Amino acid sequence: MNLTKVFTKTAISTPERQQEADADLVVVKKVQAGDVAAFDRLILKYRERVFGVIYNLTSNREDSSDLTQDTFIKAFQAINRFQGNCSFFTWLYKIAVNTTLGHLRKNKLRSFFSLEKISEDGADIQILEQLTDKRGADRDTYLKELQEKLNEALQKLSIPHRTVITLFEIDGLSHAEVAEVVGCSEGTVRSRLHYAKQFLQGELGKYLRA
Amino acid sequence: MPINEPNSKVTLEQLLRLKRAERPNPEFWAHFERELHQKQLTALVQKRRWWHGMSLIPMRRVLLPTGAVAIATLTFISVRQSVSPQAVETGRVPALSSSTVQEIETLSPVQVPSKAVYASLGAQVDSNATPSNYVIPVTESIPVTQEIESPSARSIAANLARLEQSEPDLIHSVLGSRLSSAARVQTVAASQNASEETAGTDSSSRYRLIARYADRALSPEPLAPVGVRERIARRLGDDLGEGISRIGVVGSRVSLKF
Repeated sequence: MNLTKVFTKTAISTPERQQEADADLVVVKKVQAGDVAAFDRLILKYRERVFGVIYNLTSNREDSSDLTQDTFIKAFQAINRFQGNCSFFTWLYKIAVNTTLGHLRKNKLRSFFSLEKISEDGADIQILEQLTDKRGADRDTYLKELQEKLNEALQKLSIPHRTVITLFEIDGLSHAEVAEVVGCSEGTVRSRLHYAKQFLQGELGKYLRA
Repeated sequence: MPINEPNSKVTLEQLLRLKRAERPNPEFWAHFERELHQKQLTALVQKRRWWHGMSLIPMRRVLLPTGAVAIATLTFISVRQSVSPQAVETGRVPALSSSTVQEIETLSPVQVPSKAVYASLGAQVDSNATPSNYVIPVTESIPVTQEIESPSARSIAANLARLEQSEPDLIHSVLGSRLSSAARVQTVAASQNASEETAGTDSSSRYRLIARYADRALSPEPLAPVGVRERIARRLGDDLGEGISRIGVVGSRVSLKF
């Protein structure tokens, strides 16, 4: 039995995801048939998510921008090899993660933060209010410090652990989807998640509920 | 500077969700799109290298046969290269494999006429000067493996080669064109025993003749002193004497009989 088929069944967990995957497949077929402009729709749809994954792995917006572009170019070049064994977004995530991991391994010694500002429009207001009841400049300072601490803690994690926690907790992928993107078993994903959470709780203890 | 103490009312999961709010502004995406289109165009125009297609080949299937062929080729080349210099150094034919030796053994060996045949052959050689008519009678055979091992045999080979250059007509009329130089040398080397028996006869006339040839062709310095020329002639005569049984002069021709 083809293993990728099993992954397809388990990876697309919700009906919405399945619907999304089907819609993507139609667009991909068009691109494969020669409609290059159709690929722009896929870029528009996924660029923020791909950028988010890469940004959360690197904590550097310039690198993330370049790597996101590289990801889409690689996907465009390899689109004819996509056979629909998994969903397009999983396939695209795989390319993004592999591209980023390659970059991180190559630049192990050279890493510095270049962070995006936390957009309060997109953030969970409730969480922000729970975190701080301050207003104005104090609130901004506090949020900046929190953001730095959070990114520092994430960068202290090893690359596999960081990848797993980014995909699961920040991007909201299921265990099966993470396993498929990373290329390991679900058990490994759970184990890595557990370790990563323990580590982060130790690092960010003072911001968390006791 | 101490920062405000947090309320500590959130979980790790909630805190991590804050990362979702770290988003670039719309201007960033405009710039991103421009750059991406440029890169896309470059990627479309850029010719892909041939090795990029290698990733499509299932390497595991071709790796083993390719490796085996490479190793076999390397071994073959290294064996060939290691054999050749040795052969040059020792002046021998390269080491033969067992199959090659078998092939050689099945070939008809080089035939050497016996002593009794020389007498009857002398007239024939003199009268039938055309090489095509000249046939060496088959009486004795020597193994091919007895090759140019002795210094005298090598010296004879060298002398014959020089003679061949300087007096091709002489060599041609005596030996004919059927045997190669190497085979001739083998024949000479093999007939050493036979020639030893006949070497004693006509030694003085032989030396004179050889001295004449040495004077004409083999002397490194044509105007060399007489003593030097005689010494060269004597040495040449000694060398040739091992292999040449008879030397005859007919008119303007000199015939060597083996």
